Amino acid sequence: MTFLERTTDARKFRHWEGDVEADYIYTSGVAGERFFVALRDEGRMLASRCAACKLDYLPPRMFCEDCFAELTEYVDVPRAGQVAAVTVAHVDRTGAKLSQPQVWAFVTFEGIRGGLFHRLLVAPKQARAGLSVRVRLKPRNGRTGTIADIEGFEPVRSRI
Amino acid sequence: MTKVGVIGAGMTLFRRRLQETGKEMCFEATKMALDSAGLTRADVNMVVCGTAPDAFDGVAMKGEYLLDGSGGYRKPYTRVFTGGGTGVFSTIAGWWHVASGLADVVLVVNEEKMSSCQPHPQSVFANIWDPILDRPLKPNLVWIFAMEMNRYMTVYGVKKEDIARVAVKNKRNAVGHPCAQLADPNITVDDVLKSEVMAWPVQRLDISPPSDGASAVILASEDFIRKRRIKDRAWISGVGWCIDSTMWTDRDLVFPEYVARAAKHAYKMAKIDEPRRQIDFAEPYDPFDYKELHHLEGLLLADKGEAPVLTREGVTERDGKLPVCPSGGLLGVGNPIAATMGMKIGELFWQLTGQAGKRQIPHEVHTGVSQAWGDLMQYGSVVVMKG
Repeated sequence: MTFLERTTDARKFRHWEGDVEADYIYTSGVAGERFFVALRDEGRMLASRCAACKLDYLPPRMFCEDCFAELTEYVDVPRAGQVAAVTVAHVDRTGAKLSQPQVWAFVTFEGIRGGLFHRLLVAPKQARAGLSVRVRLKPRNGRTGTIADIEGFEPVRSRI
Repeated sequence: MTKVGVIGAGMTLFRRRLQETGKEMCFEATKMALDSAGLTRADVNMVVCGTAPDAFDGVAMKGEYLLDGSGGYRKPYTRVFTGGGTGVFSTIAGWWHVASGLADVVLVVNEEKMSSCQPHPQSVFANIWDPILDRPLKPNLVWIFAMEMNRYMTVYGVKKEDIARVAVKNKRNAVGHPCAQLADPNITVDDVLKSEVMAWPVQRLDISPPSDGASAVILASEDFIRKRRIKDRAWISGVGWCIDSTMWTDRDLVFPEYVARAAKHAYKMAKIDEPRRQIDFAEPYDPFDYKELHHLEGLLLADKGEAPVLTREGVTERDGKLPVCPSGGLLGVGNPIAATMGMKIGELFWQLTGQAGKRQIPHEVHTGVSQAWGDLMQYGSVVVMKG
């Protein structure tokens, strides 16, 4: 009968309501510890270097996924990065409409493998790939050593 | 079918909480296994990752999340999962990659980071039940094991102290294990019997608690082993796996039929018709002390109801006639579900190649069997290895 009398209200059938309850605490890991402490305390963004493969990982990794060496050398990420891709979000993760559209970007850095996903601090109509941007951090006393210490990326020109 | 050997193994510390992320733990175990075999990631043709439900680590699509640490970057890579049975099953999956002739070298990496889940991974176990029949009653997983243990004790008249001897033996065996979380050289049967009651007859020290950890093994074809002149190898001579009824209420709580069927399959392949005579030592799955006894009987290494007697008589001690869990097992080393491969497949490899150090069985051993148990206490996976 299910197929003949379709209903979108599951409560019309005999049922039991259940929650899948689970909360989590995630460790940042060995490489994450280096990255977030430098970000919080010194306002620096670090990449981990694989000398053998001649590449730097951002976010830093504890190991090279290619040659499988353990990485212990960290280098500064260049100040300016490039917006590789943008999106303007109109709904939040639950599908509810946002009061203001939000601009998000994937930012890459010259010579660095990987990049960061974060807010792009421009008006939606100014959001475009190719923008030259730099990171904007929260003030030192507001930083806690998480990705939220970054407020977002802003165009390099806006501060010059 | 290509003959397959284990040529390397590695594992991380097992701890209640490690700083390393899941992929960092995988890297450490994998690197150790590669180094021990004298290989690099470039030598690896294919990768199998074994890990329990995503909900423990709290990362959906955990197989994909762990792939870089597991050495899977740009390689044929598969995640397999059969609950706790993954501890042995992932090696079976790795075995068929090589036995089929598809690959010469396969890396098998198992991981669990159970400390992420708050306040306790029990909240994830709470959701493995049938949502209509069981979950409304809010059972704790331990309740059901307690009933299975009680049934086993009732049918065979087993005393609690004879079951506690398993916990004592394994926690003492683990003293020689560099990764152990729960080793205790001074533990007594009395300590177990006086520990907190969780769900009678299960007490705190009857159980292995959740852990963080990873382990890795490397499998290779006979050709590769010959060409590279690899000396430290143990051959996989039999594999078997089996699952029982989806309804736990439909299963035999006294005898693990699913283990017996998996074992018979593996023994037939390994040309073993008298397991008690032909198998020198065993690493059965021991998340609870009574499960080691249960599984010894399922593996046909003890008659029904006889395993507690063998334990009491010292037969299963490291220097006994049939050493059982010389690694220290889950009770002594820890229980990061799939990563227990380190004490099951890893220990067989280390024992059979004489690399078990302080845990080395003092007499010569040629054939070992390991077994894991999983899903909702219904899954058996068995591997027989020869030196």
